[in-house]
Amino acid sequence: MDDLLNDFLAETAEILAEAGGALVAWEADPADRAQLDAIFRLVHTIKGSSGFLSLPRVTALSHAAEDALDQVRRGNRTPNATLVTAVLAIIDRLSSLCTALGSSGKEPQGDDGDVIGALAVVDESPAPKAAPVEPVAVPTDEEINAELQSWRSIRVPLPLLDSVMTGVTDIVLARNEFARLLRESGAEASVVASFDRLSDSIAGMRQSVSQMRMQRIDKLFSPLPRIVRDLAQDFGKKVRFSTSGGEVELDREMMENIRDPLIHIVRNAIDHGIEHLDERVAAGKGITASIEVSARQSGNQIEIMVRDDGRGLSPDALVAKAISARVIGAAEAKALTPREKLELIFRPGFSTAAKVTSISGRGVGMDIVKANLEKIGGVVELRNEEGRGLTIVLRVPMTLTIISGLMVRAAGQYFAIPRGSVREILLETSDSVRIDRLGGGELATVRSEQFPLLRLEQLLGCSVDDDEDQDDRAIILVRPGQGHSYALSVAAIHDHEELVIKPAAPMIMATGLYAGTTLPDNGRPVLLLDVQGLLAAAGVDASEAGRIDDASAEAAAEAAAARDAAQLLLFREATGRTRGVRLSVIERVEEVPASALFESAGVVKAQIGSDIFAVHAATFPTGPEAVKLLRLHDGQSVLCYPIAAVIDIVRLPDAVQPAQAPGLVAGVVLIGGEPVELIDPFWLMAQYGAGQPAPSLRQPLCRLSDDADGWAANFLAPILRSAGYRVVSGDETVEGERPDVQLCLVEEHVAPVAADVPLVRLRSSVAATGPDDDSIYRYDRGALLEALRTRVAGAGS
Amino acid sequence: MMEKLYLIARIADTRVALRSRAINSVVTVGTPVHVPAAPPHVAGLFALRSRVFTLIDPHVVIGLPAVAVAPGQRVIVVDVADHGYALLADAIEDVCFIDAPETRVTGRLLPGWARVADAMIEHEGASLLVVDPSHFITLPVAKAA
Repeated sequence: MDDLLNDFLAETAEILAEAGGALVAWEADPADRAQLDAIFRLVHTIKGSSGFLSLPRVTALSHAAEDALDQVRRGNRTPNATLVTAVLAIIDRLSSLCTALGSSGKEPQGDDGDVIGALAVVDESPAPKAAPVEPVAVPTDEEINAELQSWRSIRVPLPLLDSVMTGVTDIVLARNEFARLLRESGAEASVVASFDRLSDSIAGMRQSVSQMRMQRIDKLFSPLPRIVRDLAQDFGKKVRFSTSGGEVELDREMMENIRDPLIHIVRNAIDHGIEHLDERVAAGKGITASIEVSARQSGNQIEIMVRDDGRGLSPDALVAKAISARVIGAAEAKALTPREKLELIFRPGFSTAAKVTSISGRGVGMDIVKANLEKIGGVVELRNEEGRGLTIVLRVPMTLTIISGLMVRAAGQYFAIPRGSVREILLETSDSVRIDRLGGGELATVRSEQFPLLRLEQLLGCSVDDDEDQDDRAIILVRPGQGHSYALSVAAIHDHEELVIKPAAPMIMATGLYAGTTLPDNGRPVLLLDVQGLLAAAGVDASEAGRIDDASAEAAAEAAAARDAAQLLLFREATGRTRGVRLSVIERVEEVPASALFESAGVVKAQIGSDIFAVHAATFPTGPEAVKLLRLHDGQSVLCYPIAAVIDIVRLPDAVQPAQAPGLVAGVVLIGGEPVELIDPFWLMAQYGAGQPAPSLRQPLCRLSDDADGWAANFLAPILRSAGYRVVSGDETVEGERPDVQLCLVEEHVAPVAADVPLVRLRSSVAATGPDDDSIYRYDRGALLEALRTRVAGAGS
Repeated sequence: MMEKLYLIARIADTRVALRSRAINSVVTVGTPVHVPAAPPHVAGLFALRSRVFTLIDPHVVIGLPAVAVAPGQRVIVVDVADHGYALLADAIEDVCFIDAPETRVTGRLLPGWARVADAMIEHEGASLLVVDPSHFITLPVAKAA
């Protein structure tokens, strides 16, 4: 019985929160039939459950509300503010009854005649009959009950859920260790196969458990409309409140941690942010203010935005306030940047209201909001438009315990970096990175954006491992928080993995460099780097504000020069052959584990992050565990080209020996006296571009007559072929086909196959012999192809 | 009965007795993972049964120079405040019941030892220091500063 009651209470609390929000939405738009039905359904559910548990007061209250709402649904009653207030009163009474039920276990005695009576009061004033609710197709009770089944679910005590989560985390770690032992012992294939099956189901289970902990952020939003409505009424302000992105899911624990901060921010917005009606009119704004709360997922993070169109923050007022509240001294205030002035609101002991009101002044300041968020690895960001509104952005990680981590190597050992804070990964040798040493510090310029460059070995106080290949050194653009970013140089990028993070021992955490430890498959513990802490340890100002944009004349000139001199990336293929490709078509060099490659419909593909890209590989690459891929990008699609190693970046020589026919190799260039094949990205992209090969059109047939010295066959035919012609020479014929066009040299004897085949005559001399000479100089490629094209087209018509 | 059970080991070049209830297990370690920038007594990290343990070099805690971890070296695993640690042991001698009572430490000890030793105990004709493993986890404040 107690279990039943607990379930009822938990469910009812949820329903009441939801109903409050729905009622407010319905009040704003009485014609919204869906909202009305939703409220009716919610009240109906409470009535049903309470009847079962014999709670007469709850049943009577919900019955009264249901009755009144049903009248509206049938069109017998017009919805108005009086009705909504009366229903809200019932909901409040139900909430207090439930609280009493929860503490005492039985329904307290009392009389609800007052709130039920209020429902019966029909507002006699001429209600705007503009939108009478049409009495159409009222769902029957059976239909409503059927609908209820779909969102019925089982309630599980939270500690149980948490223990399942810890259990699964331990299983994952144990599996990792087992996998390693199995590899080391060289177990039989059958054992490995059955372990793999186990491993797969563990992975699936872990996913489900993570999902179990996930809740729609709706839950967080549901009490807000009611809070806004009540507060707005208290202050005599008009507020339109909207939420979006409620379907975004968030870890339950994170949800708990942002509930109070979020409510606090919304309260603040109404109390301090939104002006009084007359002020709004004076400011030329609409009387009704708007507050929007939205959520969206970006990568491993959830972004929650609270936007109002009130007065925004006034930096000068904040400073004055801070000085009078003795949060800062006058001298300190002078040195503040505009951003720092805004961030005064996060200082302890600061409150923006001139007087502490009953609403916002509840001892919870923005400092607590910030601290709460930082505790869970989140950040708070302010976007202020003075006079026009304030947007507060909360950014929190999706889960606490399992994160996607990038494994990097430095000083001969591995470290993990949370993937969420990684903006971009580049090779240090990449063309788009320039590293400058100035005054003992280092600066990386990536596509004219400057970042302080920190070397991981230096931060950790280690020496660079001499065994590391300098070419592998990579730069990770890290953004630990909004408005800050830096470049982190590491010896190599390994891969990325889903990592179970456990806190490290206190004295290791105390270094400020690490955020925890994790145990990847290889069984060797790996430290998770604290990207924010690294920055603090380096003592570098990584603020993005005020960075000199490298668009200075010098840089522009340099860029212009670079544009003129196309650069060539030299690389070694798995076969050992050295090839090159224009650097500008390469987006980046990616190293992926071999497991990221798979075959689909005869084409090799690679999974990088959440994207799948085609890989140019005739056969499935085997061998080393990690595969390096060149990412070719044409502005629209990406193609991966597997390579063994990057060799160098050189200037593309002007002299390119073009290839005979279009294909993978566009031509050959000499680099340092060695021939290097040039990859043709145009052809490559064409192969994979649209995902399907273009339909092969009939290629025109071209006949070369009387080619005694072989010039036509050796020099002319390749050009023609690459221009899309099929070529026959001399007396060869293609069965069943007549040539579309024929070519001959003027100097040679002309013997047309048929008079009706168009003829293009070529001459050896540059100059024409006379005005009526229609022959074409044989090395005039453009004219030759043009002539062929017109003749073929003419013959076809 | 458990109160009388002691682990006799040689740590930081000294024979000591550790109360067995403070000890989780005794295991061997491979090569630990180095923790750059960690306090000097942290000899590294190693994994054991899916848990990550922090390896402590008692030499440093006592004030002696650090010693390198030899593969296969035995360590004493302890849990302190929900974190797993392992103390590097020069040698593990025995686990035995000692009936003699623990007595107050008499005589002057080196400052390092004075901080970690709780008592003394008489065993097979020799006096041993009874040390609390949790004292090895933190460095003396003056030293850490």
